[in-house]
Amino acid sequence: MVEYPEIDLFSSLDSPIHRFDPRAKIVAFLCLIFSVVLVQDLRLAFAGLLGSLAFLAASRLPLRFVSQHIKWVSFFIVPFLLILPFTVKGDEIFRFYALKMTYEGLEYGVLVALRAYSAVVLVLPVVATTRFDLTIKALDRLKVPNMLVQMLMFSYRYIFVFVVEFQRTWRAMEARGFKLRTSPSLYALRTVGKALGTLFVRSYERGERVYQALRSRGYTGTRNPKTLVEFKMQARDYALAVLIVGFAVALHAVSFVFARGV
Amino acid sequence: MKREAKRREAKKREVKKREVKKREAKKRKAEAVTVRDLSYTYPDGSKALEKVNMKVYEGERVVIVGPNGAGKTTFLLHLNGTLRGTGGEVKLFGRTLGEMKREEVVKEVGMVFQDPDDQLFMPTLFDDVAFGPINLGLQESEVRERVRKVLALLGLSGYEDRAPHHLSFGEKKKASLAAVLAMEPRVLVLDEPTANLDPRSRTELIGILNRLNEREGITMVIATHDVNAIPELADRIYALNRTVIESGTPWEIFFDGELLKKNNLDVPDVFKIFEVLQCFGFSCESLPLSLDEAVAGLTRTIETEGGHIHLHIHEHTHEGVERWRRKYEHH
Repeated sequence: MVEYPEIDLFSSLDSPIHRFDPRAKIVAFLCLIFSVVLVQDLRLAFAGLLGSLAFLAASRLPLRFVSQHIKWVSFFIVPFLLILPFTVKGDEIFRFYALKMTYEGLEYGVLVALRAYSAVVLVLPVVATTRFDLTIKALDRLKVPNMLVQMLMFSYRYIFVFVVEFQRTWRAMEARGFKLRTSPSLYALRTVGKALGTLFVRSYERGERVYQALRSRGYTGTRNPKTLVEFKMQARDYALAVLIVGFAVALHAVSFVFARGV
Repeated sequence: MKREAKRREAKKREVKKREVKKREAKKRKAEAVTVRDLSYTYPDGSKALEKVNMKVYEGERVVIVGPNGAGKTTFLLHLNGTLRGTGGEVKLFGRTLGEMKREEVVKEVGMVFQDPDDQLFMPTLFDDVAFGPINLGLQESEVRERVRKVLALLGLSGYEDRAPHHLSFGEKKKASLAAVLAMEPRVLVLDEPTANLDPRSRTELIGILNRLNEREGITMVIATHDVNAIPELADRIYALNRTVIESGTPWEIFFDGELLKKNNLDVPDVFKIFEVLQCFGFSCESLPLSLDEAVAGLTRTIETEGGHIHLHIHEHTHEGVERWRRKYEHH
């Protein structure tokens, strides 16, 4: 059995976020994402993260699934948290030989991390609570450039095919005694490189055949591929959208007040 | 009871209608696909096809056989204009393919590719099957109706929202056929339809194809290595190896030992077994190519020979078996 990298594995659960109209979901959460990443105040960034977590909790996505995805993003966020406190100039907190940790640096590092985590946390309720094909169709209905929609659609379809293909190659290599783990030598790495190269060549050839198949069924490239899908906004979709966008606006309204008053 | 009688009556009428349709088509014998002196040279200069000539009549099932690399797939890709020959021409129902609009060609000829992953390019089965009809410019309700009908025909109802990577190979194969059938083509071109299928899916697929041919009168051009499927799928065979080597009914091709040997072609297992039986003194008018023919042939022979068949070893048996073995030596 193949393990697929499925982002919409839990799209069949039921929650207010799952029932949310995909188009409104994308627009509303995108507003919120922009809002939280543009927040300048540490307290508000924290509030933003809490709000994001609340929406994530409302989506009822399993914790393991969530942590799995956040884990990978941490590889990019944690370095900021570690490096910024020592590189930004300002009031010194403590010194370790030549390394100087500053208050401003720490604040900036935490701010960046909070904003980044909020954004990542918010992406999950958007893409993981709708079947991915519906997300793509929603993007199409939202008038996202057709070229992008097509690229997304075909990438989504063929990523699974390529995963299987590479796994097959990998198994064939292992079946003939190839091991990467125990001896990551230059030879081994070169072999992996070649295997990847083969995958590229094969994908290229497949691309050609897929194009022939597309053409055989009337594909012309423009305003294509069209899909049939029915989205219907209901009162509760509007309500939820207003709530999310309202939160996004509130963060900045408060930050405006802070800037004035404090 | 009354309803039952009515239904039977309706069925009878339908069967009759189909028969009439078939007879008419036969009478007309219109050429669905005409290929004249078709040549194709790959961009690197190697010749894939050389002066291929072929005629496929309406409602006919033509099978193309030939070794790997004989140009079968390349040839098929010419039938809907995906590839343009470097010489010669292809005609569809009397019209030159090069002069037809792309949409017209696509509407007439449905192409089922060998690897279903090449063909199922949309995120869900519904989208994939709807893809063709939408491109034909049909109304949404009509598109939905066609998808429903075709999925029901192939036993894929309820799979609408499935992603292709969640289908088995057999299901994918049926799905790619469904996607093409939804466009209601008059000619169906299939590249290795039975390859890699398990026996049950294979039998099922052959059944589906034959029903389509019988009921809808769809013309078929099939490239295959599955020699045991040929008697069930072919009205006529073309042996292709860059050019057409031979053509004829399955019977004409499979009886030409020289031709088979020269082109590395195989014959159905049933045929081989009955050849062996002949060496053991079994006599029948014609060797069967399929199991059905075998049953019919055996029944006839037993009836005419007084209730049994008679096998024995005679002076030429071993010699005959040896000759038989040599005939298929290349396998």
